[in-house]
Amino acid sequence: MQRRQFFAGAATAVAATSVSRVALATLPEPATQASPDTAPPLVPPNGRPYQPVVTLNGWTTPWRMNQGVKEFHLVAEPVVREVAPGFFVNLWGYNGQSPGPTIEVVEGDRVRIFVTNRLPEHTTIHWHGQRLPNGMDGVGGLTQPAIQPGKTFVYEFVARRPGTFMYHPHADEMVQMAMGMMGLWITHPKGQHPHIAKVQRDYAFLINAFDVEPGSKTPKVNTMLEHNIWCWNSRAFPSISPLVARRGDRVRIRVGNLTMTNHPIHLHGHEFEVTGTDGGPVPPTARWPEVTTDVAVGQMRQIEFTADELGDWALHCHKSHHTMGPMGHGVPTMIGVDHKGLVGKIQKIVPDYMVMGERGMADMGAMEMPLPENTFPMMTGTGPFGPLEMGGMFTTLKVRQGLGANDYRDPGDFQHPPGTLAYEWQGAPAATPRPARVDAPGTAPTEPSARKPAASGHQH
Amino acid sequence: MNTTEPTVWRLTAAAAALTVLAGCASVSPDGLQGRAMEQAARSAPTLAAQLPPADLAARSDAQTQLQVWLAQPLTQDNAVRIALLHQPALRVRLAELGIQDAQRVQALQLPNPHLTLGRLVNGHEREIERSLSFGLLDLITLPWRTQRQAEARDHATLLAAQDVLQVAADARRAWLRAVAAEQVAAVHSRMVEAAEVGAELAQRMARTGNWSRLQWAREQALLSDAHASQARAQLAAATAREQLHRTLGLWGANARFTLASSLPALPPVPADVLNAQALETQALEQRLDLQAARRQLDTTSTRAGWAGAAALFGSVGLGYQRNTTTERDSGHRDTTRGWELELPLPLFDWGGTARTAARLEVERSAAQLQDTALRARTEVRTAWLTYRTSHDLARQQRDEVLPLRALIQNETTLRYNGMLASVWDLLAEARTAATASARAIEAQRDFWLADTDLRLALIGALDTPATTLGTATPAAAADSRGH
Repeated sequence: MQRRQFFAGAATAVAATSVSRVALATLPEPATQASPDTAPPLVPPNGRPYQPVVTLNGWTTPWRMNQGVKEFHLVAEPVVREVAPGFFVNLWGYNGQSPGPTIEVVEGDRVRIFVTNRLPEHTTIHWHGQRLPNGMDGVGGLTQPAIQPGKTFVYEFVARRPGTFMYHPHADEMVQMAMGMMGLWITHPKGQHPHIAKVQRDYAFLINAFDVEPGSKTPKVNTMLEHNIWCWNSRAFPSISPLVARRGDRVRIRVGNLTMTNHPIHLHGHEFEVTGTDGGPVPPTARWPEVTTDVAVGQMRQIEFTADELGDWALHCHKSHHTMGPMGHGVPTMIGVDHKGLVGKIQKIVPDYMVMGERGMADMGAMEMPLPENTFPMMTGTGPFGPLEMGGMFTTLKVRQGLGANDYRDPGDFQHPPGTLAYEWQGAPAATPRPARVDAPGTAPTEPSARKPAASGHQH
Repeated sequence: MNTTEPTVWRLTAAAAALTVLAGCASVSPDGLQGRAMEQAARSAPTLAAQLPPADLAARSDAQTQLQVWLAQPLTQDNAVRIALLHQPALRVRLAELGIQDAQRVQALQLPNPHLTLGRLVNGHEREIERSLSFGLLDLITLPWRTQRQAEARDHATLLAAQDVLQVAADARRAWLRAVAAEQVAAVHSRMVEAAEVGAELAQRMARTGNWSRLQWAREQALLSDAHASQARAQLAAATAREQLHRTLGLWGANARFTLASSLPALPPVPADVLNAQALETQALEQRLDLQAARRQLDTTSTRAGWAGAAALFGSVGLGYQRNTTTERDSGHRDTTRGWELELPLPLFDWGGTARTAARLEVERSAAQLQDTALRARTEVRTAWLTYRTSHDLARQQRDEVLPLRALIQNETTLRYNGMLASVWDLLAEARTAATASARAIEAQRDFWLADTDLRLALIGALDTPATTLGTATPAAAADSRGH
């Protein structure tokens, strides 16, 4: 689905926005983006050359060269983001999207950023991880007055060190980040850096989370941890673009965490190394192999590996609730509870009632039941073999033979070579499982139960 | 009554008047019940169809209808019909009306003349006296009395008609309360079903180890509460039904009828009840108690006119004598004829106290009329306000609360579908929705009670204080807070 506009040329539709041209006569035109699809990498038209990144379900903003200074224009404004198909959320972002556009510069570039505030309240931007003059750090009240609604501020500094960075407000930040105000900043190395390898694929995304009451559209900004919409770049599976690689490509994935909890990011089928943090590139001697790296709150991680295994490999947060769509955290576990004789009675009272959860929650992935409006299912997404039972921070790394160097299109489902796919045992069936025992509450089970959850909870 | 101008001094004229008046002085064959029913029908045209027929034969036919009415679910109109035929209290009242009528006729009968016979004997004569006499006053005042008795009869008929209307209203009220209570009890049974399922599922949850005893106990407690509320609702339904039996005068096998399953639907507010001022005027013209009070005032003021004379002249007697004297020796008879007038001498009682009493009676009647009119006005205003408010409340329950509850239940089901809510949330919403429908039933009942009160207030005095709103089921309200 992300294929649609991928090669539609400049998917970054540069359109006039609500900012008046007259008022901003001396300002660079702010570029804006309406599509939630992944835009193709922006090859630098001027300035120092670099290998651009691909922002997952995002885009890189173009700039204006002004006497050797790269000028950007960010407009902070309310936006509506399609977080999943048919699921729209009222967010705050920059230049038409949340997260805002990725800013890509090269080590040593002088950067001037115009920030216009179209929000109902004041804001600032903090350039997370940058070396810069203190007055450009963007902490409202501490290093600058806040940018009042309708005002434009200018930030100017030199991108001194290469790496992966972020930008986000530092004024009423709890609200503004809960509303989706954030963006990526990539500083590419000038020339060859001893600790920074050349890669063929360079992906970047931010981890963010929202609490949107099922049936509503605006996040609850006061929620601290019980979020129900787990996103990468404000998109949730199955709407997150796959990461595509040609077999043998060196792949870099840059991940930044602007939620209020840590996210162990796990890649299947490959080992990777953490080659950089927001502190800079990790010296090769300090790296160790991993299949999961924990991205703590306010941190960035760069992981790199060689995509040498063909297939559709899962890439996801390992907190299992974070690969789920909205769920009722207060809903009791129904596993193993016999509904015999009660379904009819409940249906007499609630005609549309169907039993769910008696055997687990996988029913949810298979059943297509009507939900509250503007709500996407807890488990969704279908693969070639059936429901994926995932939603949230989940996507795939698709490694294929012989892709074009700049081909980022979804290559479709992986075709497994013969003999490489798990198959059903065709021999004699396994012994019939013993029927579940029922223990009186509060008594220790006399023998282990075959049923989920494992009956070991009493042995403390 | 066509009474001739009484000319006391002309006996012939008086005799003619007597002949005319004697015609009025017969007992009504149905003891005025027909008149009372007609009056009631005139005052309440909507009720006319429910009133028992005036003539006795047709009424006994209607009695046989009873079994037919009771064989089908009892409607409000049939309840009224049955009450008007069967209710013992009404029959008592109507019988009294008959007795009053008989007394009236008795009072209007001409006084029996007195025949005096005397046989007096002395040495040479035998005298036989024959005297026929009667109290003249009764005769003279007959036209007045006839008029007064007619007024008294009309007064009694008006009051009896009002009793008829009140019995009809009572039957309506009892029927409304009984039907609503039965519906509410059914709603409580649904609440119990929801709680039973919740408690049963909770028990299975605890058995499987998914829930603690505490969580199970909470669901059990909800079930206990639901059972208690159900018991209260069932008692209320039984009590309301007993009240209906009393009001309809039914017992035994006759009391084993089925009630209609629901209250009548809420009507749009009729245009004729939109104007309180017009309703007051209408009530002042129509109300039977006002008509009765007016009639009472007329009667007392007419009576005041001759009260003094009556007191003064007490018993004016007129006699005719024919005396025969027979000479014992010769057998010669001598007959004397003549009349005799007996007059009391107004030496002590000049009729002043009677006049004062009569004047005070007029005053009392006038004050009573004023008081009745005052009550009529406030009763109509109160009934009208209650009618409008209860209609708004019932409509709000029907058009806003119930659809909202249905929406909430539906949305909860959607959340259950998405595993965002549990089956207990669904059951709790079902209980709350049931409470809401009980409230809606009560609001509908309150409206129809107010409707009954308003219609009654337009034609007669309210026997009970008007329906009060805002007393809907505190027990049910407590239920809805329980989760």
